[in-house]
Amino acid sequence: MDLLLQFQHILESDPLIDEVGFVHPTQFATLTEDSTGDAAISGGTTFWCRDHKPGVSTQAVLPLYNAAKRAFIAAMEEYKRLGDDGLESEVMKHSKALLLLSSDFGTAWNSRKLVVSKKQQLSMYMGELLLSALVLSCSPKSDQAWSHRRWVIKSITGKCSALQEILGKESELVEKIAERSKMNYRAWNHRCWLVSYMTREQVLHELKKSRNWAGLHVADNCCFHYRRRLILRILKDSKLENASPGYSVEVSEVWKEELDWNEMLIKCYIGREALWLHRRFLSLCWMKQFATNLHDVSSHSELKISTINSFNSFINNELHLLNSCSTVPDNDFEDFQVQATYSATYILWLTKQFSEVWFEFQEKLTRGNLKTMLSKVCPERSFLWDSLID
Amino acid sequence: MEKSNIQKMGGLAAEKHIQYILTVEKRKDDFVSVVMEHLRMSGAYWGLTTLDLLEKLDTVDVDEVVSWVMKCQHESGGFGGNIGHDPHILYTLSAVQVLALFDKLNVLDIDKVTNYVAGLQNEDGSFSGDIWGEVDTRFSYIAICCLSILHRLNKINVEKAVSYIVSCKNLDGGFGCTPGGESHAGQIFCCVAALSLTGSLHHIDKDLLGWWLCERQVKSGGLNGRPEKLPDVCYSWWVLSSLIMIDRVHWINKEKLVKYILDCQDMENGGISDRPDDAVDVYHTYFGVAGLSLLEYPGLKAIDPAYALPVDVVNRIFFGR
Repeated sequence: MDLLLQFQHILESDPLIDEVGFVHPTQFATLTEDSTGDAAISGGTTFWCRDHKPGVSTQAVLPLYNAAKRAFIAAMEEYKRLGDDGLESEVMKHSKALLLLSSDFGTAWNSRKLVVSKKQQLSMYMGELLLSALVLSCSPKSDQAWSHRRWVIKSITGKCSALQEILGKESELVEKIAERSKMNYRAWNHRCWLVSYMTREQVLHELKKSRNWAGLHVADNCCFHYRRRLILRILKDSKLENASPGYSVEVSEVWKEELDWNEMLIKCYIGREALWLHRRFLSLCWMKQFATNLHDVSSHSELKISTINSFNSFINNELHLLNSCSTVPDNDFEDFQVQATYSATYILWLTKQFSEVWFEFQEKLTRGNLKTMLSKVCPERSFLWDSLID
Repeated sequence: MEKSNIQKMGGLAAEKHIQYILTVEKRKDDFVSVVMEHLRMSGAYWGLTTLDLLEKLDTVDVDEVVSWVMKCQHESGGFGGNIGHDPHILYTLSAVQVLALFDKLNVLDIDKVTNYVAGLQNEDGSFSGDIWGEVDTRFSYIAICCLSILHRLNKINVEKAVSYIVSCKNLDGGFGCTPGGESHAGQIFCCVAALSLTGSLHHIDKDLLGWWLCERQVKSGGLNGRPEKLPDVCYSWWVLSSLIMIDRVHWINKEKLVKYILDCQDMENGGISDRPDDAVDVYHTYFGVAGLSLLEYPGLKAIDPAYALPVDVVNRIFFGR
């Protein structure tokens, strides 16, 4: 009980705590040595705190967990029996400690939802965002923590005027966590989930704003999927009844920019799967758009001719890219070989999704050649190439 | 060559894994068991199914397990991860699966469990995990699998459930948690299995999805769950069973995958880990053995790719003794 009281005292005494960490006992000596003035607390070798970031000795985790769980269960039993204010704060206090030690303890998250949904105070909902952010600081993959944030947002939609601002902050939080926790599916899934709540302007803004980060994390498929999510939303919006013609032009520009930027990254970062998969998506949508345009426009119009020209120049560009990626200058690093595989697979994938375009490619590059290329750079998948290419 | 590598060439260390699982089952007070106690029901399913696949389910006390499972049931009909924990659809399926292994489904009030699960279906056909409303295609699979085992699929709107799953299909052929979510092998398994169990596989472009799935195989022979990620034994299940259900398993190199799984064994202490030489756990032990079963490794019972239960257990559910 002493341990638990100490832990909770630390948590309660500093409202600016934004991160909790777990430290091996052998590291405590170095930490307490470095600390100055009132930044350190004399918790001996169990607790340490500095700059609003408490550390807990890993040795203390099990006894702390047991104490927190016992206290939580007792508080819940009383609360369910009597249900008054004093007991609520006990439930909140003990569930907080418990969740910092066991982030996916669902029953503890639920108890907080119960208390907060009964009080219906915006400040309490905001408090839940703070707590879950704290939990995520030590457990960035916690399914329950992310899910709790969605519950908060769903609960306050319509009751809160600052929703757009909150969404923006959510998006930033994901990026911050993604920096430390690479390819974090749960984090990015959350960011994708936010998109359906965003306005058209916010979506475009997100696409522009998140581009730098993506360019620095080219092996992180999550961030490129997020861009695809945003792009799909932009596409959907442009097809709506009230979409202005200016918006359609903006969409085309966004597309072209994304395709060019992707090509630049592909040439810069050799053999990165995530970049090629992103290109599959972009090209597929681009070609679908062409097909739609061609269908909408009458046979002899100027627009049709210019559309066909754009289409051909697009195909030429992709074939040019394939050619430049197909040379394997040396076998010192696998990268070139991998790049060649990805570029050939990319073209094959496109022809499979869009049989109309197969004819265009065939004129300039036969499938037989594609099969030869793939069998040469990726022989371990020959059974796949045989299945896919007649 | 390292001693452990030579040992691994001997194949599956079945006895060691059995002992490992029995040890874990008895442990309740050590650090790992304690911090995982909220999902013990799923741990029980992983451990017990592995034992059954290795034909050693009889080493466990049936009555003790069944009694504990039933204590985890909530008044709503759903099951929690452990005694005193809130109910959730995840642990409800695990509980039903565990009872199915022991042929003890008859201890259940079928209607009570059915009402809990069916009550979690939303207007758009999706399923929530519990009363707090989180939606995920995993829960769609769980609901469909659970009710199918209980012969109560007719209690949900199957058509809407299917259309919701289909709405989560991405342009790469894969599926995410919700519409627009990133394709992930685990989510894909859930969606493919759910569509399989409802006779709706025609909604899947099998070549397209098969392609995405077979690209999960990396040089070492192991499978990852998403592009650019490291291989992990658990994907030997998620990816493999998906490929089997859509009839594209010939698009991966099975021999290399078998070798990868065997390399993930701890030959001294038993158990299987996510990748070679990492720490083992029950979760990866189950998926490694289940994966080997799908690959028809000798000495293992066959496992059903959609129900994730031994085939004889599934046959018993649908065709009687």
